[in-house]
Amino acid sequence: MRDFIAGANFSGRSAALMTRLRERLSFFVGPYAEGALSGLSSTVADEIAIYRAAQPAHAEFSALDFAAFAARKPPTLSGGEQVLLALHCFSRSDYNAIGIDTALEQLDPGNRDKALAYLSGGDFYAALIDNRLDARPGWSTQACTGQAAFACNLAAATGALKPCAAPAITIGNLSFAYPGGAAIFRNTSITLSPGAWRLTGSNGAGKTTLFKLLAGVLAPASGTITLDGAPYAPWREGNRIFALAAQNPDHQWCGATLREDMSRRRAALARHSQIAVPDEAALAALAALLGVPSLDQHLYELPLVARKRLSWLWPLSGALPWIMLDEPTIGQDRAMRAALGRTIDRLAALGHGVVFITHDDEFAGTVAHRTVRLAGQAMMVD
Amino acid sequence: MTPNGAIAFGLLVIAAAVVARDVMSLAVILAILLTFALASRRSILPALLWSAGIVLPLAAFMALVWVGIVGRAPHEIAAGAEGSRAAAVAYAALVCLRLFAIAFAIQALFLHFAGWTPLAFVRALTAPPIAKKLLVLTLSLIETILHAIDRARTALIAGGIITRRFSWRNLRHGWLLVQTVWLTVVVIAIGRTRDKWPIEGTLARLDGTLHAAAPRLAIADLAWGAAGLACLIAAIGLR
Repeated sequence: MRDFIAGANFSGRSAALMTRLRERLSFFVGPYAEGALSGLSSTVADEIAIYRAAQPAHAEFSALDFAAFAARKPPTLSGGEQVLLALHCFSRSDYNAIGIDTALEQLDPGNRDKALAYLSGGDFYAALIDNRLDARPGWSTQACTGQAAFACNLAAATGALKPCAAPAITIGNLSFAYPGGAAIFRNTSITLSPGAWRLTGSNGAGKTTLFKLLAGVLAPASGTITLDGAPYAPWREGNRIFALAAQNPDHQWCGATLREDMSRRRAALARHSQIAVPDEAALAALAALLGVPSLDQHLYELPLVARKRLSWLWPLSGALPWIMLDEPTIGQDRAMRAALGRTIDRLAALGHGVVFITHDDEFAGTVAHRTVRLAGQAMMVD
Repeated sequence: MTPNGAIAFGLLVIAAAVVARDVMSLAVILAILLTFALASRRSILPALLWSAGIVLPLAAFMALVWVGIVGRAPHEIAAGAEGSRAAAVAYAALVCLRLFAIAFAIQALFLHFAGWTPLAFVRALTAPPIAKKLLVLTLSLIETILHAIDRARTALIAGGIITRRFSWRNLRHGWLLVQTVWLTVVVIAIGRTRDKWPIEGTLARLDGTLHAAAPRLAIADLAWGAAGLACLIAAIGLR
């Protein structure tokens, strides 16, 4: 028996999923690390050991070489790899039911197809929420029709944006490896002119790592970045050109409330004379259009989908010339994905640079973009 | 060596360091600890430096207060004697050496099990299941905090509030990192305990995972246990 739980955002799908899972002992894979991993292990091998049963009840699902990953810390895996690890743990366990809340949206097309085929073919109960599907053959569809909340108007949110002249970014001979890990990039170069760019690559190819390098969170082993030819080293000077919306919105809050987060970011940006920092009233109005009308809103008390939308606040404020959106469509329903596509088009038309990561080809097809493919420790323009 | 033997040895040596009252008995304890650390066949220099680093603030404080300001040892004050700075130096050295021995004992234990994960270590322990489960939960908190630090740094650096490398800005906003880390730890913990753990009965699974049929003690445990006991006897005997 398999249930596909359909509906728009805030229609009660997650609650419906939980109700089904509580009826039997179930394995759960939620979006992001807290929902996918047990949190009790310090290595991938231990994570698997926690769930391994003497007699696994199902066929093995092994989309990654987990022997090679055995010593890695689970939180250091990419979002997609964490989901694949969770599915592997389920396949080695004795659970007879699994529930997945939007987590498959993080998988690359190949792994996503494998995961969906596994869930459809197993002798276990499965319940699935996935915004990129309307129904699944052989699955019963349960439609949720709860009242919408946190109304978000992206068209109005970008209505007042002014034209921007984003600099061209040139990355030269970039090399990077995580400590004790294999190289992610090796002497790779690329130039990104303003406009929309999609980063593609399999799970773990280094897409989020590239974002972190550009935002100064990581430092390259070697290589340079220039902005219109001028040297730029965000890992030394701090980030002053990229507005980042992280894959997991909880990776980007700088305070407990929206007001706290906003005032700290405004103060940080005000140090750079070339940045026109939006005033608090303008940002508050923008936040309201994104579904959060109060600056005193505690960020972590918002539903995850609302937090994800609010994470677009700074990218849509126009304060910074380049915008990085890491898997912006995760958890977002069809209407919101369409609006987001139009928003990226508008930002690019205004002269911003927009780099986005998505495994959702249908969404990417709605945006006029060029593609950078990450593979074999290199970046290539397709 | 098994975790059971290592913990027994560690407790004996730490107890010996606590009761030791002179430099001679502490020297015996440190010699045995040094041998124990070398037996791990790993570099012991980082362990020595960490232990020294832990003692350094106390050493500086005691030197300032007891040697610099008071100028006498506590037992001289109690006896109403005039006392001397040399006695104060000996007292400060004894206290610092004792702390160093305790810190180094813990570091030496870590050296012996450096290749083990916390889960593997706890699994091999002989202890009541509930104690083992509590230990795993406590140790997992370390990973959670490390993960939270990474998340918080990412947020604050990407937001331009702090920089990746040392800067005055980082010093001024260091408290923001601390606040963000704790906020993140709470969020991660709530995320797990609200959905994942209750649905899966994750904690109940630990019972099976932590059940181990490993030997309770090995020959090496007995040898090091005897050495630890010798430390304790020496410390008590030399009082």
